[in-house]
Amino acid sequence: MISKGLRWLRGDHSANQRFPEGLAPWRVVGATVAGTSHQKLGQPCQDAAGWALGPDRCLIIAVADGAGSAKLGGEGAQLAVSTAVNYLAGRKSLGSGDSSKKDLVSALERAISALTSDAEKRDVELRDLATTLILVQATPNSVTALQVGDGSAIIGDLQSGVVGLTKPQVGEYINETSFITANDAMERVETVTHQGSVSGGAVFSDGLQMLALKMPEGTPHAPFFDPLLRFVGSAADAGAADDELRSFLASPRVISQTTDDLTLVLFALKDGHEDPQDPPVGNG
Amino acid sequence: MAEAPRLEDAVEFAENPEPRCPCVLLLDTSGSMQGAPIEALNRGLRTFKDDLMRDPVAPKRVEVAIVTFDNDVTVVQDFITADRFEAPILECQGMTHMAAGINTALDLIQARKERYNLSGVPYYRPWVFMITDGRPQGEMPDFVDLAAQRIQEEEATKRVVFFGVGVEGADIPILSEIVVRTPMRLRGLNFNELFVWLSRSMLAVSDSKIGDAVALQPPGWAAVD
Repeated sequence: MISKGLRWLRGDHSANQRFPEGLAPWRVVGATVAGTSHQKLGQPCQDAAGWALGPDRCLIIAVADGAGSAKLGGEGAQLAVSTAVNYLAGRKSLGSGDSSKKDLVSALERAISALTSDAEKRDVELRDLATTLILVQATPNSVTALQVGDGSAIIGDLQSGVVGLTKPQVGEYINETSFITANDAMERVETVTHQGSVSGGAVFSDGLQMLALKMPEGTPHAPFFDPLLRFVGSAADAGAADDELRSFLASPRVISQTTDDLTLVLFALKDGHEDPQDPPVGNG
Repeated sequence: MAEAPRLEDAVEFAENPEPRCPCVLLLDTSGSMQGAPIEALNRGLRTFKDDLMRDPVAPKRVEVAIVTFDNDVTVVQDFITADRFEAPILECQGMTHMAAGINTALDLIQARKERYNLSGVPYYRPWVFMITDGRPQGEMPDFVDLAAQRIQEEEATKRVVFFGVGVEGADIPILSEIVVRTPMRLRGLNFNELFVWLSRSMLAVSDSKIGDAVALQPPGWAAVD
């Protein structure tokens, strides 16, 4: 069941809405484009992303990348995102201290059990639903991220600029990563909390890694993110911004860097002030 | 086998930073391959190149090396991206020094990985594709056992994926003792189909994310026992 707070990004459909008051104080812009290799093979996009406002007006974002080699990777990604976001958004309040990390781990556990029951229901192996998962919970003063697999979460901090939160988990080979459906998934969980004045951030699937991160270190490439974070901070119309972001991801300069699905969710904290209006035009 | 640093690497990887998908073709050129088999194999190599070139990314990602074994082991082609690869014309003679060939192929991969790492180029798990119409010949049994052991170790530690393909006349039971994966048997001299399959499989690998298993299309060229 999908709570009405969850906003979906799935396949090539963008969430088409104004920045809803329901998400205040946050703005979120997200887009997914199917990778060229998936288009070529007639495969659907296997990335999924969703977000919602949580308790105490925190922002919850989830991005999942279904394994290309898994039969139902796309379905697995979708179910993991909806389960985790619904759980995190449905809590009564945010605890203190380390509780955000614990909550994100609980959300991951719920996503794994949802996949396990779904696999039983469909009579398939759990690994047929293999997916990665990144969860982010943001408040104005701290951001906590959890990750299993590749992709990454970064934030913009008013003092320190662009800061990496989680890094892609890769093996020796570029196409090897961890999935939440693996036996040892709970041992591969990475959780990170950043305290500071958060201005925004980004969560993305591995399709963007080549552009967005300095590899193999996995540190974010500030010249890539600075304009994107300014873009979401100043965007006025959510639908138009989603479209613009999608065109950007589908543009030759981005898409030529990868054959994989691309998902990018950007968020910004509205500062609480109205954007400065154009000065009134006087009559003389 | 000490590798001297090559200045060319600087250009090669700066010019083409695409992730690399390396594949060694380890080919039996012993006397028994003479005639129709070697001609079909040579045609197959040209098909391999042509098929890789049809893909938009493969020419810059797939790297091919060719090692032949007969009385000698020869690196006919060190690793080269598909766009720069030219199919050689192979000739046959002599015995089947398969174990020495296996060692050379695995050494070549090790050296290549070191170059990738030095240059910061990401890569996929390398493949060795060994094609033979016989069995090890002219080599000490211990030496063959050691080569088989090395394949087992390198498969277990995921350093390589090692395929064995038997052409008509190949000793499949012996081959099964050498390679870890079940050897495939080529139907007739269907090398063209084999190399198209290999090219497509390399693309599937370079395009997808895997857990442990390489998800491959079942080979249409293989005989079913």
